[in-house]
Amino acid sequence: MKIAVLVKQVPGSESVLPILNDETWVDESLVSFIMNPPDNFAIEEALLIKEKAGEGEVVIVSMGPDRVKKTIKEGLAKGADRAIHLEEDGQIETDPLSISKSFSTVLKEENFDLIFTGLQSDDTGMGQTGVLLGEMLGYSTATLAMETDVQSDSIRVKRELESGWFQWVKLPMPASISIQSGLNTPRYPSLKGIMGAKRKEIKSIPVSEHRVGSKMQTIEKVFIPQTSKQTEMIEGDADSVATRIVEILKTDLKVL
Amino acid sequence: MDILVVLEDNRGSLHRMSKEAIVGAQQLGGSISALAIGDNADALASELSGFDLEEVITVKHDLVSSYNADGYAMVVQKVFESESPKTILAGHTYQTRDFMPRVSAKIDAPFIPDIISIDDGLTKQILNAKLNATVSSSNEQMILSFQSAAFSEESIKPGFCSSRSFDVSLDSSQVRAESEDPFQEAAGGVDLESADLIVSIGRGIEKEENISLAFDLAEALGAEVSASRPVVDSGWVEPFRQVGSSGQNVSPKLYFALGISGAIQHVVGMKGSKNIIAINKDPDAPIFEIADYAVVGDVLEIVPKLIEKLQS
Amino acid sequence: MIPSVTFTIVEKVILAGLTLAALGSFSYEVLRRVAIVNKGLGSFPFDRFLERLWRVFREVLLHEKVIRERPFPGLMHALVFWGFLVFGLVTIDHFATGFYKPILSESLHHAYSKVVIPFAIFVIFGIVSLAYRRFITQPKALGKISPTSGLVAVFIVVLMGTYIYGETGLSPLVWKVNWWIHSALILAFLFLIPRSKHLHLVLGPFNIFFRSFEHPDHTPVHIDLEGDEDDLDVMLNDLTKLTKKQALDIFSCVECGRCTDVCPANRGGGILDPKYHFIMDLREPLLEGKDVAILDQINVEAGWECTACQACTEVCPVGNHVEKSDEIRRLEVLVEGRVPQEYQKVFTNLQETGNTEGASSSPFADSFPVFTADKEYVLWLGCFARHGLDPNFNKSVENFTKILDVAGVTYGVLAEEQCSGDPANRLGDKLTYTMLREHNMEQLIETKKVVTLCPHCAVNLGKEYGKYDAINYTVEHHTQVIGRLIEEGRIKVKMGETGKVTYHDPCNLSRMLDVVDEPRTAIQAASSDFQEMDESGRDTLCCGAGGALWWKKETKGRTHLVRAEQVIESGADTVVTGCNFCFGMMKQGLGPMTPEGREEVIVKDVADIVAENLV
Repeated sequence: MKIAVLVKQVPGSESVLPILNDETWVDESLVSFIMNPPDNFAIEEALLIKEKAGEGEVVIVSMGPDRVKKTIKEGLAKGADRAIHLEEDGQIETDPLSISKSFSTVLKEENFDLIFTGLQSDDTGMGQTGVLLGEMLGYSTATLAMETDVQSDSIRVKRELESGWFQWVKLPMPASISIQSGLNTPRYPSLKGIMGAKRKEIKSIPVSEHRVGSKMQTIEKVFIPQTSKQTEMIEGDADSVATRIVEILKTDLKVL
Repeated sequence: MDILVVLEDNRGSLHRMSKEAIVGAQQLGGSISALAIGDNADALASELSGFDLEEVITVKHDLVSSYNADGYAMVVQKVFESESPKTILAGHTYQTRDFMPRVSAKIDAPFIPDIISIDDGLTKQILNAKLNATVSSSNEQMILSFQSAAFSEESIKPGFCSSRSFDVSLDSSQVRAESEDPFQEAAGGVDLESADLIVSIGRGIEKEENISLAFDLAEALGAEVSASRPVVDSGWVEPFRQVGSSGQNVSPKLYFALGISGAIQHVVGMKGSKNIIAINKDPDAPIFEIADYAVVGDVLEIVPKLIEKLQS
Repeated sequence: MIPSVTFTIVEKVILAGLTLAALGSFSYEVLRRVAIVNKGLGSFPFDRFLERLWRVFREVLLHEKVIRERPFPGLMHALVFWGFLVFGLVTIDHFATGFYKPILSESLHHAYSKVVIPFAIFVIFGIVSLAYRRFITQPKALGKISPTSGLVAVFIVVLMGTYIYGETGLSPLVWKVNWWIHSALILAFLFLIPRSKHLHLVLGPFNIFFRSFEHPDHTPVHIDLEGDEDDLDVMLNDLTKLTKKQALDIFSCVECGRCTDVCPANRGGGILDPKYHFIMDLREPLLEGKDVAILDQINVEAGWECTACQACTEVCPVGNHVEKSDEIRRLEVLVEGRVPQEYQKVFTNLQETGNTEGASSSPFADSFPVFTADKEYVLWLGCFARHGLDPNFNKSVENFTKILDVAGVTYGVLAEEQCSGDPANRLGDKLTYTMLREHNMEQLIETKKVVTLCPHCAVNLGKEYGKYDAINYTVEHHTQVIGRLIEEGRIKVKMGETGKVTYHDPCNLSRMLDVVDEPRTAIQAASSDFQEMDESGRDTLCCGAGGALWWKKETKGRTHLVRAEQVIESGADTVVTGCNFCFGMMKQGLGPMTPEGREEVIVKDVADIVAENLV
């Protein structure tokens, strides 16, 4: 049972996000980074499956500059067996197709039974890499897994649908699954795990060796959203206030 | 064809977000067609007969009688190859997230998801909505999905639209998933962090016996109930409903704050809410600084009226 | 008066046999436990020898603590104890009579009995009162009904009775039967003592002698990330082992339940019951396993509820260091990797940004002058103030610097101040604690004096850091500085319109740093209407934020509200406190607890009430 977990290092939720002068991205030298929070659930699910099976290996896979090794080591400290690091050389990758193509050429020979990703990354939030990769490798795919049930050559996944609905889907392995947050309780790395992580293999491969074609999707500009926080004061007696609120709910917010 | 809008079947009728996607398509301009897949394709097509579209393409096949990623991705690919639209569009639903990346990889065109506006280029939120980004595609063809309520279905341009069926041949070996019927989960564990709609109770509710008002409102809205710390501390609701620095962090589409003052320990847990309606007796309550809609009034008077109107 | 009685050889043989058996059983059981205690880590302390002896004198002979904490039962117990002491000579003489002949001459015996008989009556009175309390009143803290206690009560009453009876004029036969009953009971007692909580008779004085002078007193956890993996294995394994003192604690426990009575988590409705979770539940595993590696058997859920306030340790009459949340949490974090999610976030924030909130900067800290070597004090802000965990407290910090400015005291903040590490330390993440501590020690290399408003920071910088490396600076709490400035006349404070004022002692400040008077000096300089609230000074009831519980998400218990309730009951208009966490907890807790129609109690820091009334 070989499980790859795609992990991303992203800016922390409380980090400053100073925009570069050319407005193409944030100034990463001032940003504090963490593991993409949804990825924790993916790692935990992979570890639980491996522990239940009693055998297998969990491999952390990540793309990014050198600083990403810190996040990779966190995954190793939690119990993953080894890691593959696609090392970026200064050009920040944001195009999911391009990223997935690089991943697919590297992961093809590994023949993973399962590829797990978090539901999306807290930086660009494209939410596609796992499914793109699945398609490129010819794997079956599913997203937003709230529960997994691995059987001998297939995996049952409880997909989350909108509005409180769910659906069980059975897929043959190999499969690429995106894991919904909250399906398990991620562990904290033990001290032994942290020490042991230092000796686990991290295979570094320059992205440039695997870049296929050029990126098609570009972030032209990043900017602070215009929070025109115009607070609308609703006045009048209780009845007219209530009427106006129903209108807002129906028309403006479309929640009815 | 310039734009192909992939429609979603919401238990027999057209998903609201598909309609919104059509509005977005109409604003982008060009010749627009829609694609309806599955057993209900004809019903979906007839819902669009009065709107300004070229046509609705319907695809019916055993292997896509209901949704599955393999089947839908293949159908879209085949339609794409036949009709060559420049842009494929859809609402950014769970379903779109599930199969549209497959299409993207199959046709080698970028998928730009969860767009909130097209006024100034394609705009999407990044970094937990702290910043926005303008995204572009260097490829002629692209796939786009729109965030809920980025467009208003009221703005759909009326007109006339026909439908035609499109034949696909699909191999059963290519459709690998075995799906069971969807089901609803009994409301046991309340996951506030992923709730779309929240009604939140503060000390302005005044007494324990008034708590049921908030629950009734929540039920009428299909919302979850949360509360500020003092309400939890008084024992009026269960601790897991607490929102704030020592409670849950929520970012729903709508946060309905009833009698909440807006103390910083509470705000910290809900400032990510997309829309905030606040009712409070105190005109200086800090909650009004972050509210989108503010009512200086008595929760106990307004909420019952609101429930009445919602139930009618 | 003893009739002339002789004991036959047979009787002497029987007596010898029984005595040997009883002594043998007693010794075996005691030595068995001592052997287990000896397996514990570390060694027993003998430093400050005379101070330790003096403490034993006061707490054992004078029963100071026992009486102070529960006056009436305490006094009753004291009567029994003093009677026990007085009976020492009687018992020796009693057995000597059986084996050979009495030690005391008739006149001495008679004279001594005039002392002993009243004591015997006191003892009977004492033990009957205590038995009534235990079996009829049944206070909750004493826990389940204890049959051995009943037996012991009966034994003691009969022992006293047989003694008194023996001093009346009896026929030889009756006297001898009475004598044998008395002896049998004493021997039975010997049999019973080591197998029950009455072992405290033997171990108590030693345990009190060996008690540390400060608490908490947990073994430091040295982590060397560059070290050997085998060394790490040994270290992690050692984390499950009791120290010698901890093992002795478990055998000395008298099951009185005072620790549970004062526990804020327990009082708030949590499941934590220090008597059982930290002591009693470990006794059986200790005896059965005959090994000290049992710390991993502490109830985990209870362990996470503890506020680490040390009230339990402070109150224990037999010198136990009751609290063991440090031990179980460090096992969960370092060995098991099982950490509640909200604490994982705190650890990650500390590792990534050096503060509990994950913030990249602190505009508040930037508003203060930077420390340079020519300034007197490093003003240590702490995460709470730096990152506005309660923005109202920032005003209190500014009030303190205002006081310093008026007094002409120079100070500056450290540019690279990181969290003192208290949350990591108390939550068991000794690794993150090591990282923070090493960083801060480097920032403090040139520092001589530190002043801080946060008692948690003060405890770590001033005491905990010193358990790992020598420290070259002194640490003062801001109330100590304020108190001193008032006494030295460097600031003048006038009595103001303060209304009725009370003071809530922060647990880290009063129990761990022993700072109780200075805040009161400061408050009473500004207020003429000061009154103590319940459980004040070193007996203070923790506000509920200790042990890093400030960051705990699911609050099932009402720990943080219990103290707020007491504040309201005191009738004060203002509650002053000396800790940012207490400040924040009071602000959160007073609102819900204020009854209808009453004004909410105002919360102030010592710095506030003084700054407001500076002349």
